[in-house]
Amino acid sequence: MLDRQKSDGSISDRDLMVQVAAGDRRAFEQLARRHAAAILRLTRAVTGQAATAEDALQQTLLSVYQSASAFRAESSVRTWMLTIARNAAYRIRAKSDRQSLVEERLMELGLGAGWGSGDPETIALAAERKDTLLRALSTLSVQDQEALILRDIEGLQASEAAALLGIGERALKSRLHRARLRLAAALRRESEMSASAQEGPQL
Amino acid sequence: MNEKTVAGLQCSEVLALLSEYLDHELDSAMVERVEGHLLGCPNCERFGRSFGSMVVSLRRDSIASESVDSELVMRLLTQIDRLTTEA
Ligand SMILES: [Zn+2]
Repeated sequence: MLDRQKSDGSISDRDLMVQVAAGDRRAFEQLARRHAAAILRLTRAVTGQAATAEDALQQTLLSVYQSASAFRAESSVRTWMLTIARNAAYRIRAKSDRQSLVEERLMELGLGAGWGSGDPETIALAAERKDTLLRALSTLSVQDQEALILRDIEGLQASEAAALLGIGERALKSRLHRARLRLAAALRRESEMSASAQEGPQL
Repeated sequence: MNEKTVAGLQCSEVLALLSEYLDHELDSAMVERVEGHLLGCPNCERFGRSFGSMVVSLRRDSIASESVDSELVMRLLTQIDRLTTEA
């Protein structure tokens, strides 16, 4: 290998990887030290927090260690590690997004939509009527309507809809979920109104 | 809503994941957990089923293929006419 020795006399990443794959703990340490800062910069940017960025770094190093023998020289070691790090950071971010989603009134949105109620079927029944569905849709905010129209009615992929709205895919998915819950709540209101207008159950 | 933990997930977590579940955006391990919860939690199962039907209704072809109100089209055309003749 041409790059066995770097100009400063240190061993190359690729040679380190070979040693790590063979179970060399010290080679792994050297590799980790060499790239930790770059990984932290990236994971920090993704998760937005020092603590979770460090979690991502830890997960990255673990998978580098465990899958060292799977490394193929198609990319540089650095790129490979950064790819793993980025994936780890996004997984962590997705998890914390989900957690904050629960905190941010998601349960209230769910309750409004009939989650845990005695008649959750109301939303499915109301949605079967196109006029009711469109009326309920029209009562939502523009943001909610956009998400529902692009994803559910027009059938765009999440990535396409996100790009179109100029937001990230995660944000799009979160917005869509909330919009659907608000639509469900609107459908319940619509069906209550039409029930009271007609004085009795309707089919 | 009394929160239960079934298959390692709380009801509120299932609520948060429902759209991603319906849209096939969860990894297989998470799908398994959500489905495990739905099997053991009638509350979430009933709501999830109804919520899913709502999304299916929304995705019906008839809404996407709905044409624009002809009155609106006429109005727009009239406006365009006016604009172009004024110019
Ligand atoms: Zn449940």
